Amino acid sequence: MKVGILDYKACNLGSVFSSLYQLGIDPIIINSPKKIFEIDRLIIPGVGAAKNCMDYLKQNSFIEPIKKFLANKPVLGICLGMQIFAKKLYENGLSEGIGHIDGEVKKLDTKIKFNIGWREVQFINKINKKMNIDDMSSFYYCHSYYISLKKNNYCAAMSCLESSNQIPAIIYKDNFIGTQFHPEKSQTNGSKFLEFFLNWKKN
Amino acid sequence: MNFIRIIPSLLLSNKRLVKGKKFVNHINAGYPSSTCLALEGQKCDEIFLIDLDSYNNNKEPDFTSLNEISKNISTPITFGGGIKNIKQAKKVFRYGADKIYLSQILFKDKGIIYKIKEIYGSQSIVAGINIITHDQKYYLLEDRKKKIDILDHIISLIKCGVGEIKITFVNNEGSEKGMNLEFSKKIISNIDLPIIFEGGLGNVEQIIDMIKIGANSFAVGSMITFKDYNIYKIKQYLFNKGYKVRF
Repeated sequence: MKVGILDYKACNLGSVFSSLYQLGIDPIIINSPKKIFEIDRLIIPGVGAAKNCMDYLKQNSFIEPIKKFLANKPVLGICLGMQIFAKKLYENGLSEGIGHIDGEVKKLDTKIKFNIGWREVQFINKINKKMNIDDMSSFYYCHSYYISLKKNNYCAAMSCLESSNQIPAIIYKDNFIGTQFHPEKSQTNGSKFLEFFLNWKKN
Repeated sequence: MNFIRIIPSLLLSNKRLVKGKKFVNHINAGYPSSTCLALEGQKCDEIFLIDLDSYNNNKEPDFTSLNEISKNISTPITFGGGIKNIKQAKKVFRYGADKIYLSQILFKDKGIIYKIKEIYGSQSIVAGINIITHDQKYYLLEDRKKKIDILDHIISLIKCGVGEIKITFVNNEGSEKGMNLEFSKKIISNIDLPIIFEGGLGNVEQIIDMIKIGANSFAVGSMITFKDYNIYKIKQYLFNKGYKVRF
């Protein structure tokens, strides 16, 4: 299977590359739109700022190829890589997202505006059984913006921040699956999640 | 309640890990890649990696070692030590770090924060605050004239867009005599960012003293390098005392 990692000139590309390599994959770096059609699965990493990332994807004509790819093959978006599939993003000014997920990306409204560290993930509908991951397993987060969904029916897992403040941890729709946490940085649980994605088939 | 973060703080010099006291007298502390793999096995929550050679002597940071470590583990890495410009900052992320650590440069060119923030986001920038004590007063290590107010300095960095703070008590480094509780408390009550504390930890009771005043993230060096502790043992101890840690 050919797995591509989208390079949008920010992102922790090296980390995602290594974690896939450890799973026996030789990832392909996708740095031009036409390369997208050579792969079977696309991963869009995180660690970036929304506006800069969307501007890059638009200026380099990545948006339409990503949409076309998504119509047939699985895409995993990590952190910002997930957030860009929302309709609107507000980091460093407003940007229009890819719009596959009906939601907006906003600044965290917790006292501490950054969610950095490990959090437990609460799964919905026992989807974790397919992932071979226990409910309330912990994953690594590093973000200050989160996706606020219009409807929660695409949400597969939530994470609790301060007291009752919950944010979507995993969302999925059609061929798309996105995580707010970083599976590539989440040790054993993260590897299990990536393995799940590599074998993921739409229902 | 969030998990207490236990973060090994590793110093890199000549492709080896080293450990010293009060920022000097460094001795060999192991091979980076295998040490990091062992630390991951001990369930460390992140890894802090500071390149001493580029911090002290204007050298290019050791991106080769960073890349090698990153290839072997899937634990978050913060890399820094003498980062001077955006070109180097980009390499930090390219070669497998998830966050960048800035300290000295913040006294010369705060503009680098804006540049990194625009590309990688604020959550990826950790500002290093090196604190020294003199006659029971607190100063910034880099502030030779002893004029800058520490809280003002931190607040100005937050305004520029850093996402996390690391406080290092330089005088306590390697001393194992505990952290400055009163001053830590002052910082915690005034700063609404995640804060990592480093410098002076010698036993787990000292970590608990800090948790009691509101701290939840700790960088440990001497404690795991030269003493009979490891990350797992520290976490087990905290867990037994009723604190929330991740295994």
